[in-house]
Amino acid sequence: MTDKTAKSSGPTRPGDRREFLVRIGIWTGLVALAGQALASLRSLVPNVSYDSPTTVKLGPPSEFPDGMKFLPEERLFVFREGRIFHAISAVCTHLGCTVRAEALSQIETKTVEGSPLRISHRFLCPCHGSRYTGDGENVAGPAPRPLAWYHLSIAADDGQLVVDLAHPVDRSFRLTIA
Amino acid sequence: METTGTAPGVHPKPLWSVAPDSDRQAGDAVVSNFVLHWFPAKALKDSLAWRYSLWLGTISAALLLLLTVSGLPLLFLHVPSVERAYGSVKDIEYVVTFGYWIRSVHRFAAHFMVAAVFLHLVRVFLTGAYKNGTGRGQHREWNWVIGVAMLLVTLFLSFTGYLLPWDQLAYWAVTVGTNIASAVPLAGPKIRELLIGGRTIDQPTLIRFSVMHVVLLPGLLGGLFAYHMWRIRKDGGLATADRAAALPARAEVPAGKTKTYTLLGIARGTGPTIRASSVEAPDTTVNSVPDLTRRAAIVTLGTMAFISILSVFVHSPLEEPANALVTPNPAKAPWYFLWLQEIVTDTTIKIGSFTVNGAFIGGVVLPGLLVVLMAAWPWLDRSPAAAAGRWFPQSRRTQNLVFLLIVLAVLVLTFVGTFCRGPYWGLYWPWQAWPELPTRI
Repeated sequence: MTDKTAKSSGPTRPGDRREFLVRIGIWTGLVALAGQALASLRSLVPNVSYDSPTTVKLGPPSEFPDGMKFLPEERLFVFREGRIFHAISAVCTHLGCTVRAEALSQIETKTVEGSPLRISHRFLCPCHGSRYTGDGENVAGPAPRPLAWYHLSIAADDGQLVVDLAHPVDRSFRLTIA
Repeated sequence: METTGTAPGVHPKPLWSVAPDSDRQAGDAVVSNFVLHWFPAKALKDSLAWRYSLWLGTISAALLLLLTVSGLPLLFLHVPSVERAYGSVKDIEYVVTFGYWIRSVHRFAAHFMVAAVFLHLVRVFLTGAYKNGTGRGQHREWNWVIGVAMLLVTLFLSFTGYLLPWDQLAYWAVTVGTNIASAVPLAGPKIRELLIGGRTIDQPTLIRFSVMHVVLLPGLLGGLFAYHMWRIRKDGGLATADRAAALPARAEVPAGKTKTYTLLGIARGTGPTIRASSVEAPDTTVNSVPDLTRRAAIVTLGTMAFISILSVFVHSPLEEPANALVTPNPAKAPWYFLWLQEIVTDTTIKIGSFTVNGAFIGGVVLPGLLVVLMAAWPWLDRSPAAAAGRWFPQSRRTQNLVFLLIVLAVLVLTFVGTFCRGPYWGLYWPWQAWPELPTRI
């Protein structure tokens, strides 16, 4: 190896070429292995989602009672006050357990983001004890954010109530039906 | 058969001798036996002492063996499908002959293995057994790192295992566990998607955890275990062996006349050097057969007997079938994860209007820091080599105390999570009755 350093500035020697080819061989093998490993790993990333759709018909608005209705499949609370609807997610913002609603002994009205809101419940999480007020505001426990509010609309075809679970809205959102 | 006429390494008895006639026969009993070949021919009395190692590593290995053996029939009976997993486990519990016993053996062995591996780690830390002693070519620090990795694999094996019945515990444990994974910055949601095979917990999740539990993780643990054992031999045995080797008068051995001693013979180059005079001294060493094999057999068979008998009397619980619609109240992780559940509960931090989720602090940062600190500790521990292989040496008093405090904190949090948490994760005394809550909303 000493003669190699001595002649490093000179023309390429057979030894250098052999070393170079060996290195190419080793690296090619490693790259091929890495490629196969990545291909195997990539096959585990789903290309098609069989998850339930995020836009869901919830039934005709007339079926919703005044007050609150819990929809376990959608993990959603739907509130109705006469002709006015809003929907709050039941998925805890801490680690995703389903929160439970607890009716308040006294219904109060609170101004949330400029609009009045009737507060009839509070929400409690069974996994780590997060607490939310009736508008979804996180007030105790480890929850880092308020519960999400989702966009509600009326289906054009059959007039059912539709929730868009991929479309969070701010807390002034209300759906008023005719 | 005549023992005098046999060739070296050929043992006259077909298996091995429980009571060999000579040192030579005792050595051959190890070398010629496939099961025993990883043992040294001779072992230091100190490293066999019950009070030094408490044999926790052997107990862990015995439990791993028991888990492998008891897992095999379960593998034939469990159906990893979301529709049928719960029913198949229920069949194992109530229909299959001896099914409940096999399941209980598997479950108890898993619980005790988490405890044994953890206690083994505590023992190795307190005795400074990750420290290198007098031998050349020792790398005990790397065996410690391997050990930490094995603890993590053991925990992940338990986590993937208790999902397989697809009951309420399973479903909500995956929900919480994978949401912790998605709290990792940037890559988090991708990691969760890869773990559960989509965005909701369903069939792809169950099959992924099932394959991890029965193929990937046991294979990984088996490989790490083999390397762990091999390293112990390469490092010249337990750390206490270095002490024993260092103790006798050094002056008797001329400088440079040390043997590179692997106890299976003379190794070339890299084996640790232990002064032959002390290791071979008849009053400090014994033949591995039968002294080491007898104790290993007592520990292994004792562990198996304990678990087997316990499992006859105590059945395994099975919660209600997984129900994505209802989170149990309270929803508790198994006991060895409850300290983590406590931490994620208490670590959501508000800085002004900015909130950091406890899932990130308590689920990712704190456990990550603990693991990194633990793995790196051999390089941070500056105590002298003489502190290796001894319980509570003066020179390691502070770090042992701090370590014990962390262990105590984990145990206290585990206790609080197990006995003091009630509905909505509220604090109750263990003897206090939980309030009656409506189960339906």
